[in-house]
Amino acid sequence: MAFPHRPDAPELPDFSMLKRLARDQLIYLLEQQHEVDKLYKVENKPPFSSSEQLCFLVRPRIKNMRYIANLVNADKMAGRTRKYKVIFSPQKFYACEMVLEEEGIYGDVSCDEWAFSLLPLDVDLLSMELPEFFRDYFLEGDQCWINTVAQALHLLSTLYGPFPNCYGIGRCAKMSHELWRKLEEEEDGETKGRRPEIGHVFLLDRDVDFVTALCSQVVYEGLVDDTFRVKCGSVDFGPEVTSSDKSLKVLLNAEDKVFNEIRNEHFSNVFGFLSQKARNLQAQYDRRRGMDIKQMKNFVSQELKGLKQEHRLLSLHIGACESIMKKKTKQDFQELIKTEHALLEGFSIRESTNYIEEHIDRQVSPIESLRLMCLLSITENGLIPKDYRSLKTQYLQSYGPEHLLTFSNLRRAGLLTEQAPGDTLTAMESKVSKLVTDKAAGKITDAFSSLAKRSNFRAISKKLNLIPRVDGEYDLKVPRDMAYVFSGAYVPLSCRIIEQVLERQSWQGLDEVVRLLNCSELAFTDMTKEDKASSESLRLILVVFLGGCTFSEISALRFLGREKGYRFIFLTTAVTNSVRLMEAMSEVKA
Amino acid sequence: MDCYTANWNPLGDSAFYRKYELYSMDWDLKEELRDCLVAAAPYGGPIALLRNPGRKEKPASARPVLEIYSASGVPLASLLWKSGPMVSLGWSAEEELLCVQEDGVVLVYGLHGDFRRHFSMGNEVLQNRVLDARIFHTEFGSGVAILTGAHRFTLSANVGDLKLRRMPEVPGLQSAPSCWTTMCQDRVAHILLAVGPDLYLLDHAACSAVTPPGLAPGVSSFLQMAVSFTYRHLALFTDTGYIWMGTASLKEKLCEFNCNIRAPPKQMVWCSRPRSKERAVVVAWERRLMVVGDASESIQFVLDEDSYLVPELDGVRIFSRSTHEFLHEVPVASEEIFKIASMAPGALLLEAQKEYEKESQKADEYLREIQELGQLPQAVQQCIEAAGHEHWPDMQKSLLRAASFGKCFLDRFPPDNFVRMCQDLRVLNAIRDYHIGIPLTYSQYKQLTIQVLLDRLVLRRLYPLAIQICEYLRLPEVQGVSRILAHWACYKVQQKDVSDEDVARAINQKLGDTPGVSYSDIAARAYGCGRTELSIKLLEYEPRSGEQVPLLLKMKRSKLALSKAIESGDTDLVFTVLLHLKNELNRGDFFMTLRNQPMALSLYRQFCKHQELETLKDLYNQDDNHQELGSFHVRASYAAEERIEGRVAALQTAADAFYKAKNEFAAKATEDQMRLLRLQRRLEDELGGRFLDLSVHDTVTTLILSGQNKRAEQLARDFRIPDKRLWWLKLTALADMEDWEELEKFSKSKKSPIGYLPFVEICMKQHNKYEAKKYASRVGPEQKVKALLLVGDVAQAADVAIEHRNEAEMSLVLSHCTGATDGATADKIQRARAQAQKK
Repeated sequence: MAFPHRPDAPELPDFSMLKRLARDQLIYLLEQQHEVDKLYKVENKPPFSSSEQLCFLVRPRIKNMRYIANLVNADKMAGRTRKYKVIFSPQKFYACEMVLEEEGIYGDVSCDEWAFSLLPLDVDLLSMELPEFFRDYFLEGDQCWINTVAQALHLLSTLYGPFPNCYGIGRCAKMSHELWRKLEEEEDGETKGRRPEIGHVFLLDRDVDFVTALCSQVVYEGLVDDTFRVKCGSVDFGPEVTSSDKSLKVLLNAEDKVFNEIRNEHFSNVFGFLSQKARNLQAQYDRRRGMDIKQMKNFVSQELKGLKQEHRLLSLHIGACESIMKKKTKQDFQELIKTEHALLEGFSIRESTNYIEEHIDRQVSPIESLRLMCLLSITENGLIPKDYRSLKTQYLQSYGPEHLLTFSNLRRAGLLTEQAPGDTLTAMESKVSKLVTDKAAGKITDAFSSLAKRSNFRAISKKLNLIPRVDGEYDLKVPRDMAYVFSGAYVPLSCRIIEQVLERQSWQGLDEVVRLLNCSELAFTDMTKEDKASSESLRLILVVFLGGCTFSEISALRFLGREKGYRFIFLTTAVTNSVRLMEAMSEVKA
Repeated sequence: MDCYTANWNPLGDSAFYRKYELYSMDWDLKEELRDCLVAAAPYGGPIALLRNPGRKEKPASARPVLEIYSASGVPLASLLWKSGPMVSLGWSAEEELLCVQEDGVVLVYGLHGDFRRHFSMGNEVLQNRVLDARIFHTEFGSGVAILTGAHRFTLSANVGDLKLRRMPEVPGLQSAPSCWTTMCQDRVAHILLAVGPDLYLLDHAACSAVTPPGLAPGVSSFLQMAVSFTYRHLALFTDTGYIWMGTASLKEKLCEFNCNIRAPPKQMVWCSRPRSKERAVVVAWERRLMVVGDASESIQFVLDEDSYLVPELDGVRIFSRSTHEFLHEVPVASEEIFKIASMAPGALLLEAQKEYEKESQKADEYLREIQELGQLPQAVQQCIEAAGHEHWPDMQKSLLRAASFGKCFLDRFPPDNFVRMCQDLRVLNAIRDYHIGIPLTYSQYKQLTIQVLLDRLVLRRLYPLAIQICEYLRLPEVQGVSRILAHWACYKVQQKDVSDEDVARAINQKLGDTPGVSYSDIAARAYGCGRTELSIKLLEYEPRSGEQVPLLLKMKRSKLALSKAIESGDTDLVFTVLLHLKNELNRGDFFMTLRNQPMALSLYRQFCKHQELETLKDLYNQDDNHQELGSFHVRASYAAEERIEGRVAALQTAADAFYKAKNEFAAKATEDQMRLLRLQRRLEDELGGRFLDLSVHDTVTTLILSGQNKRAEQLARDFRIPDKRLWWLKLTALADMEDWEELEKFSKSKKSPIGYLPFVEICMKQHNKYEAKKYASRVGPEQKVKALLLVGDVAQAADVAIEHRNEAEMSLVLSHCTGATDGATADKIQRARAQAQKK
């Protein structure tokens, strides 16, 4: 059932090097430089430590600086002197130093950097673990992380050779690419002589495709993420899954043989597969009977451990499946999926709107309701004014007035808008295009540009054929296309764009799509004449998701890779899903 | 070649000294050297002459002239001395000319007579005037020592980092010391002075009298003293014509010599080479030059002209009006090879090679002789070494040829030494050339290092030669060519007669994209010369924006800096500029600048959000961004304000802002919230419990849960909660309370706007099948099947589905048929289906 790779599929580069590099650097920083012996989690309370020196390993955020400042100032008040060290990861920002200075503790702390920007979560998945990227960039217009992205790309190209072909779409993608190029130029020719290992790089902004990220996931790995929240490639399975009284932290990656076979599967197949697997396992156990002593010895020493391990994993995933089933049936998951599909395909909009209203009436979940509203808005180019008002009112009355700010955020990010009469829009558009012609202004994601953005989802969907024509039942066991990750109802837009560009090796012929995506000047191709690239490396593709990618997209592209003989490597600012997206936009009372 | 050792003079048994000509000086001096103030820099450095030094009686028209020449006598600069009377001249380690004036002011000039800077040696010196001054070199740099009219010493060990030190007084000193010198021991500068028969050592703390051990008796005065180049040795010349030589620490005597000349020598300097055991001092009188050492005889030369001695690391340079010579101890390798009748392996090898060239079989004999002794490697090594010490290229070549010849007979002789020597000699010959005039010896060159040599070439503006040397030695570009080009460019920007465009173009043409060249450094230099426009033009060529920005800021082109920073995409850089702008501009201008730079604006906003909330508000205000202003106040209403009045006031401000932003919806919502807050306050007062900060929905729910149905109704009406949601709300609340009676009453109050299926669902959620069934019967036909299934009545559900003849419903029921109990029902449906299909 797990699809094997084509025999000619290229080998993935070894990313464990990244881990080793980062680890060694951290150990050096902590032990050699700062003599750290105990680690605490930075929380919003003073740490219980009587040691003479405190060392903070933090993201360069102003909030963290204030936390440290408060702590240091409290110590000062208490007449206590300690040494303070701050290690910023992945880099130090000037703004942080400013805050330390303004808080009057710049002289008391010493700063360091831990340039750890790429965490290999899996053999083909690198995460920058910057969930804040999404809100910082797409909502606040803060570009500080772009440099980090460029640095990460630079690191990859120094380790794995230059990238002969680059494509990208989106403002952030373009800027990251430009910045990365600059870095390459500045460091003259370290990579020049190297053979490229990775033939193509594709950079994609999350705001090019919000729709896919907003959909409920039905592929196993995605479902696990939606239900249990995968953190840094591992998940906490609660007692209901482990069928014991303890929670269990489980790493989810290709090492887990059972998981590896079901991660990309549509959920409807998973149960069947697992029970088949269980039967096979039993059969293997059963072989014991009728073995002579020598065979038995062999069995115990060689196979038993593997079988036991598999057994353990199998029971865990079966537990997880049961738990998912229970949760999903309780909330009428089928209805929800049906509504989502209706929105994607663009029929019975009225019913869907009513469904969303009822969703709020029933107080199912604030985040879910918000998500459905966004999905409705994006697929329909905004809500019609009457619905926009009434849904917002319902929501505000239900979940509190602070969400007025949430709605303002969503509007700014272009996730939840009101259908505007034509003329206002064009006026806006011309204003934006004026901004764009200005060279400096061209580099910004200003709030205005997203205001004027029409998502044009329907037109794009038609152009790219995102909704497969269904003749009879879609066989989820033997998927035909990437739509399988959404039960055959929808091909993820982001993945379709990548597929199309790779096929053409350029954006040629996609002008209309690019225009509809509001990315007319933000789609680029950058090919260097490099004949050293082997045919194998040319089938290795690094996809960079700026603002996060979902497990569904990863599964879809893995499927595409198997079909075409490519291997995809994913680099994302963070693994995301609809809930994380909505939470990032939500305004919460502190 | 027989006469090769003709200029060798033995001193004692073990050493030879030789003197050879470096250049014939072509400087066309009008004055005698004795009429000039002379300073020559070590390491083959330039020579400075001040003609007509401060003769006060002369009329102002005959002002002294300061001239600078290369060591070969090529004029480098000449300027009329217009400042005060000069006492002493000297060269710093960076080849800057230090001119000590009588008033204690030291003027610093460049190699080309360009004025650099000046500094004063302090008030005390100014008051008492300078009597004498010395420039000396220490490991920190170059120092100046001054003897004032009050017979006190003031010194600074490093003029680059001027720290004046006044030395302690010498007790009973009434007149100027007969001679004095600076010494440097343990990284501290001392002064040794002679007063009559006494010697005093001054350090910064004390003055101590010292006596050299083994000093001959009868000395009533010291006429001259000399410290060696490395400050290790000291020589004293007494009025009895006696020379004492010993260590600088005055702990040990090395040797002594009596020359029987009582006239005070003009100059006395050490002549020794590093790592040599020989010690010798060169003493010069008007017409006589004497080399004395640990030997009963001395070497004497006659001086035809007035001459000047320059101590070097490994010898002494002697220049006069017509010649420039070098006097040194013959190095061991040369001595071995060239000594008459030497049988050293190197000597034999040189001989062998000569015979080989003559095609004589003697070559083989010599070679055999060396090989039999197994000394061929030493022979080659000797020849290579000796070649390094030869001044004349012919001799160098002949020695190198011998080395290369010998190498042929050796297996695996490492070629590095040979190759490096060839390269070094080529460089040395190039710079010794008359036009360049840097007569460095091999030892000096090694001591100086190639980097310093390149710097000196750059200092002499010999850019092409420096670049050729870099390329020849294959130095890395960053250390070599690029650095020199950058220096060249920096020189270029100082040519004020050339237009900005031409300079910028010329520089770019020459430098192109040479790696390691920093255009921003050159631009900084241009700015330093006051050429701001040129500087900006040059910055355009700088590929790294990060380098452009700081200079632009310095040039007060902050706005240009801002756009460059934004272009670079480096937010840190943008932030740096922003803070700079914030301090530089007034608030209004600062905001206006931000307004045109959205990226910078959003960055600054982010910062303000955490650090300067008030500024954030001002920013929105100035942009008339009422929408954001509204949001700002909404946030303040729950994040910043505690008291209810404050919160309402914040909301009122927010509502006003929203009206201005034409966002009626937000304004209304905000007003509703104000109303709600007030109401919640009242509820808390009247009913107790917690209402504040609940949403409308939760407020109503709480009211129902606490039995305040009337108030709940009122509130729902006030806030126009739609019927549907209100029904859901009540239904959920009542079921939560398990108030089934009230629920039933409610269900019958009027026709449910949400149907009765939700009732069934909610009851089932509370596991009350009994109540659920009640409502199941009231569910409309479309949802009947679902409701029946919910309460678990599969059989009836099947009946209804069959009755409806609805395929989907039948499937739904079928999917709920589990186990044996529902077997009959399942059959029933199957039959009905079959029947339906038949029709």
